[in-house]
Amino acid sequence: MRNSHLSLKVTALLAVLGLSLTACGTNNSAAPAADAAQNSGAPVEGGTFTYAEVTPINNWQTQAARFYEKANVLNSVLDRLTYFDAESGKLVGWIAKDFTANKDQTEFTFTIRDGVTFSDGSKLDAQAVKLNLDALGLGIKDAQIAPNVDFGAYKSAEVIGKDKVKVTLKRADANFLRSTSSVAAGLVSPKTLKLDNAGQSAISKIVGSGPFVFESEKPDEEVVFTSRDDYAWAPETAANQGDAYLDKLVIKYLPEVASRAGAAQSGQVDLVRGLQPVDEQVLSANGGQVFAAQGVDLTTNQAAVRIGSGKLADVKVRQALQVGIDRQAIKDTVLSDSYVLAGSILNHKAPGFVDLSADLAYNPEKAKQLLDEAGWKPGADGIREKDGKKLELTVSTSNNSVVIKPAFELIEQQWRELGVKLVNRAADNTFLANALVDDKIEFFGTRQFAYGGLGPVYAPANNTQTLNADEQLNKLFTKEQAATSEAEHLKLVGEEQRALVLDKALTLVLWDEVQVYGGSKNAHVEFTSGTAPIFQGAWKAEG
Amino acid sequence: MGGYVAKRIGQALLVIWLAYTLVFLAVQALPNDPVTIFLNSDSAADPATIAQMKEYYGYDQPLVIQYFTQLLGLLRGDLGYSLSSGSDVTTRIGEVVGSTLVLAGSAFAAAVVLALALTAAATLARGAKLRSALLNLPPLMVSIPVFWLGLVLLQLLAVQLGVMSLFPDDSFMSLAVPIFVLAVHLSAPIAQVLIKSVQEVNAQPFIDVLRAKGASESWIFYRHTLKNAAPAALSIAGITIGTLLAGSVITETVFARAGLGQLILQSVTVQDIPLVQGLVLLTAVVFTAVNLVVDLVHPQLDPRIITARAGSPRALSA
Repeated sequence: MRNSHLSLKVTALLAVLGLSLTACGTNNSAAPAADAAQNSGAPVEGGTFTYAEVTPINNWQTQAARFYEKANVLNSVLDRLTYFDAESGKLVGWIAKDFTANKDQTEFTFTIRDGVTFSDGSKLDAQAVKLNLDALGLGIKDAQIAPNVDFGAYKSAEVIGKDKVKVTLKRADANFLRSTSSVAAGLVSPKTLKLDNAGQSAISKIVGSGPFVFESEKPDEEVVFTSRDDYAWAPETAANQGDAYLDKLVIKYLPEVASRAGAAQSGQVDLVRGLQPVDEQVLSANGGQVFAAQGVDLTTNQAAVRIGSGKLADVKVRQALQVGIDRQAIKDTVLSDSYVLAGSILNHKAPGFVDLSADLAYNPEKAKQLLDEAGWKPGADGIREKDGKKLELTVSTSNNSVVIKPAFELIEQQWRELGVKLVNRAADNTFLANALVDDKIEFFGTRQFAYGGLGPVYAPANNTQTLNADEQLNKLFTKEQAATSEAEHLKLVGEEQRALVLDKALTLVLWDEVQVYGGSKNAHVEFTSGTAPIFQGAWKAEG
Repeated sequence: MGGYVAKRIGQALLVIWLAYTLVFLAVQALPNDPVTIFLNSDSAADPATIAQMKEYYGYDQPLVIQYFTQLLGLLRGDLGYSLSSGSDVTTRIGEVVGSTLVLAGSAFAAAVVLALALTAAATLARGAKLRSALLNLPPLMVSIPVFWLGLVLLQLLAVQLGVMSLFPDDSFMSLAVPIFVLAVHLSAPIAQVLIKSVQEVNAQPFIDVLRAKGASESWIFYRHTLKNAAPAALSIAGITIGTLLAGSVITETVFARAGLGQLILQSVTVQDIPLVQGLVLLTAVVFTAVNLVVDLVHPQLDPRIITARAGSPRALSA
């Protein structure tokens, strides 16, 4: 027994020592806070910029770039036809210097910019664009590459004259132009399109026309890119119209979330993605920077509702849960000032966003009343019951977001007071593999890229959000995609949000999508509407 | 001896085959095929694409055919196609296996040295207090979580003092620190068993005889006790290979190193079933191989294992 006492003491001593070491990190650096970056001045030429992603990437195929860790890097390697300028909320020219649509939204003509070349020297001309559009719209069967989901309406493309490409769709799609701005619609050299699946997945073999060119890689540890000196075709609205200020871009990985703030603080990386809310203050207090990149191209973080178990079949129950979430408490408890609470299923800055926050306000009394009306009465243990079934619901999410699990833990507590039990399987990927296609798992917590209307996300019968095709909604989606004027289109996008969030309550919206990055004190970087860092415009202050 | 070796090798092969079969069956027990699971990992996939990919990778074939096709492929060293990386499972594993071998191999060697040193110190140290402190080290070492030690060292050495990189950079520190972290955890059970076993041997009458003959404590320890105590520690060392693998998942994540541990984590996260299958099989092979080696070395240390018949008074009760 004496021995175990001693070991207990030693363990306690070591634990305290370790904690105090960790705590040192919070206060020993007296450097003045983030001001260093604000007194910007002119961009500095040269230098190597180190960026740490959260997990190694192995499949770099363009259409597969629907994940941040791929899109964030490919954004600087592949150019697109168009660019969405988050500041003005407008789609502007990039590789297409001009683009037009017919009134029916079934034909689109892109005028290709002169003088653009891929890094292998071949021309990015109308023919190359056509080949890329075919690959995006139809997939590449020989290389097992599936079509881009945003190109669902794509039929064909033809080269017209010297520098024009005309795209014909199978059906109207008012969102088609916007989806050409996505990283997942990045343009690659026609030679790349001829490679097999392994070739098109390898970063060393992907040839783009972007500001950075592949130099070397160490699998699962780093990828090095060099700036392309003759790059001169940035998006119309970019501040830097020439080649990147930086000489080199090094991509590394920091799977361990606890190391990320320290990496930026110590300057071992210039930028790191996936900062936890608790680390934000620590980092800015120690001279680092915190960047909150708003996901304008994405839906808000949400719990998509599946009605397969029958417990949520009654819309009143879903509406009760919608107002039974205290969103402000989630922000105060598990999020930070970098996060904006959801006002709809779309981001506040997305075109067509309608502010429904008044209808989303926390109202537990109304929630209880709605549940009562739906026939769910509190049982002996406080959990509501109906026809012998308990109101026990399950949520499943991937572990992609650092805050999703604690957020649902809080919702679990909030709902308990309404008499609703939430089984929290957030951040459990193994559980998700089954739950994703099981409509008896009531909630799928996620956010998705949505370039305009919500049809691509919620319309297909096998959509992984609701796993259910709602006739009325689908009619609305079709109508929206066929809108002939911008005003009409935005109005219909607004109707979609009202239907999804309020009338049908098929999605419980939580907070706007945001990616929080940690930056070293010298880093200067801005972000796209899809939260990707823009390395072409990035630079490092000296010192 | 020959019969013993053949039997052990045969058993090892049987274990590997059973492991392969079990993994194959476990994959079938999933609610969907690997292609569907992978393509659906975060957003809806087009059913036509799923069907086409299933056909391409052979997941549309009857189970029996899939089983034997994969088994045949396995015999040729073909573990199938990793859905997440667009390359062969073998290629993917080959890219990172070296890094793990260096880390795990060095950590194992360091752990054995550490365990031996601890045992020697705890046995030979003068003063009851010091001995008792040393005896308490293994439970302490096994109680320190690998990730915690790794994070504290990184915070101290990389962030505060700036003497090492947060990323692997081929420097001495960036390899030595992860090895140390893993070795500390790994050496604990080996040291624990070795110390226990040394104490048991020391209690046996022949040690008293040696002492009576005037042998020094250290001579007794190195020439007699250790040799008699080694077999038990060897068995434990064989089992720690599992700990080693689990530890490398954590160490590689904390230290941002490429490796099998990191790959296991990734492949499970993105639901790349063929890659998971390959890695589980590889783990089974390594586990079996190490234990086979232990089984083959054991008789060298303790001939009674082979010469004694089961049930005879000389057979080891273990």
